[in-house]
Amino acid sequence: MSIENRHHPYWLAPVVQRLGLLAIVLLAGGLLGAALVRVAPGFGVDERMLDTRLSAGSIQAVEESRKEGSDVLRYYFNYLYRLCRGDLGISVSLGRPVRELISERAGVTLRSASAGLLLAWMAALAIVLLLEWLPRRVFETAASVLAGTLLCVPAAVVALGCLYLGGLPALAISAVLFPRVYRYLRNIARAACGATHVLAAQAFGIRKMRVLTFHALAPVLPELLALAGVSVSMAVGAVIPAETLCDSAGLGQLVWQAALARDLPVLVNMTLLITAVTAGANLLADAARAAAQAEV
Amino acid sequence: MRRATALILVLAFMTLLLADFVAPCSFATQFRDAVDAPASRAHLLGTDALGRDRLSRLLYGARLSMLFAPAAALASVAAALIIALLAGCMGPWWERAADAAADLCLSMPWIFLLLAARALLPLNVAAGAAALVTFGLLGLLGWAAPSRVMLAAVKRHLRSDFVLLAHASGCGRARLALVHLAPNLLPLALAQFLIATPTFLLAEANLGLLGLGIPEPLPSWGNLLRELESLPSVAANPWMLAPALALVAIIGCFHLVIAADEYHV
Repeated sequence: MSIENRHHPYWLAPVVQRLGLLAIVLLAGGLLGAALVRVAPGFGVDERMLDTRLSAGSIQAVEESRKEGSDVLRYYFNYLYRLCRGDLGISVSLGRPVRELISERAGVTLRSASAGLLLAWMAALAIVLLLEWLPRRVFETAASVLAGTLLCVPAAVVALGCLYLGGLPALAISAVLFPRVYRYLRNIARAACGATHVLAAQAFGIRKMRVLTFHALAPVLPELLALAGVSVSMAVGAVIPAETLCDSAGLGQLVWQAALARDLPVLVNMTLLITAVTAGANLLADAARAAAQAEV
Repeated sequence: MRRATALILVLAFMTLLLADFVAPCSFATQFRDAVDAPASRAHLLGTDALGRDRLSRLLYGARLSMLFAPAAALASVAAALIIALLAGCMGPWWERAADAAADLCLSMPWIFLLLAARALLPLNVAAGAAALVTFGLLGLLGWAAPSRVMLAAVKRHLRSDFVLLAHASGCGRARLALVHLAPNLLPLALAQFLIATPTFLLAEANLGLLGLGIPEPLPSWGNLLRELESLPSVAANPWMLAPALALVAIIGCFHLVIAADEYHV
């Protein structure tokens, strides 16, 4: 390792920048979430205060217990303090700790999203490699029409279509992601395969598959890693319609139910969680990209 | 191809603007003797479960979406342009602040923010107000991506010869931004507007299909697509796919105009 790398690793600057951004995003998100809950209609009102069976003294005691929210600054501080301790509050509609709800459903969403991402990337890569291996206008047109049509269809309709075909949420997520990943991959591959060194490798008679993998795609690994980070964000967005319409008990369905029930503690904490996940994914992609660029 | 698709979009927009004259009846008129009726001469796309003419609801719903989505796109692109000009002309600190704000906005999952903000609305909000809030939120959240593109263009233009000449002539920041930079950014702003409009159309359609869009009785593309949730009904009445096909056609035209525009910008 060179002296420069020992003191200033190439990947350090983007990682530190991203970590700083992640911290600011989470703090800003936490404050925004607290503000949303604070200004929401019905904040500070307890159902028990409307119960005519309770005495005046009991209602007074309930009012006293709700006084925490009247002081805005104290409310913000307590909200962030509880957030740091992992206390995500209680779901208004389900009456259960938000943390429990998330931990129950996270596994389902992780499996669906991971499988969807993998399927989309495999399909897009396979088609891109096929188009470079066998450059036929009819294949190119067919792939463009398929991707273009899928891009024009709302993600929820794509999810419905997959449901009618008997598919799982992972299939719906992959169908939503595929055209977006394919379009970027096709542009990257087209630029990479038109590079001078690739043309030279082909002229030297190197086998096409070796040219594609070692000479064309390897140098564009940083771009592929950046696209991988972005595709995680896209997968997160596709999870809600996919799980809702396919009736899969994951985080996407939880968010949809919370939106219908105006359950802000669930919505706000889920937004923070997803923000952390996508920012973390982009951070990893940036770090890997910086490391790959250093190697290249 | 670009002219043809642009013409199709303009014709579609004009038809939808004149929905009051083109539609067979109002979107809320119920034909109680023709509930779930198949396609016929009286009802070209049949009627829905409440006996409302599907073609009329499609025309009025598409009109609402096609009016509000471009308006939201215009708002977000205008905000992005103003932020880019301010950030570019006011100095490096403003530039870093704009970059950080855009990063912050892009890091947050917009659909979750939209759902959380929609959940703030009272239960008895009017349909028109809900439409305004939905598209308003889309416009509010959609400035970040265009602003990054425009800020990059502003930085590029600031290094160009005509800007150096303007500086040398004693041109102030405001004049530089409004007279020299803004006109050069208009083609880029148009491209961003053409990208944002179909994105907002799709976003509203997704929200509507999940039941979180514009409430009844006001039709929108999103709530028109809710009929697709019943496969047996769709299989028996394929004309129920008309709103989905119309949406795909309109979005496809936007994408073709954008793709053709990329070669000209």
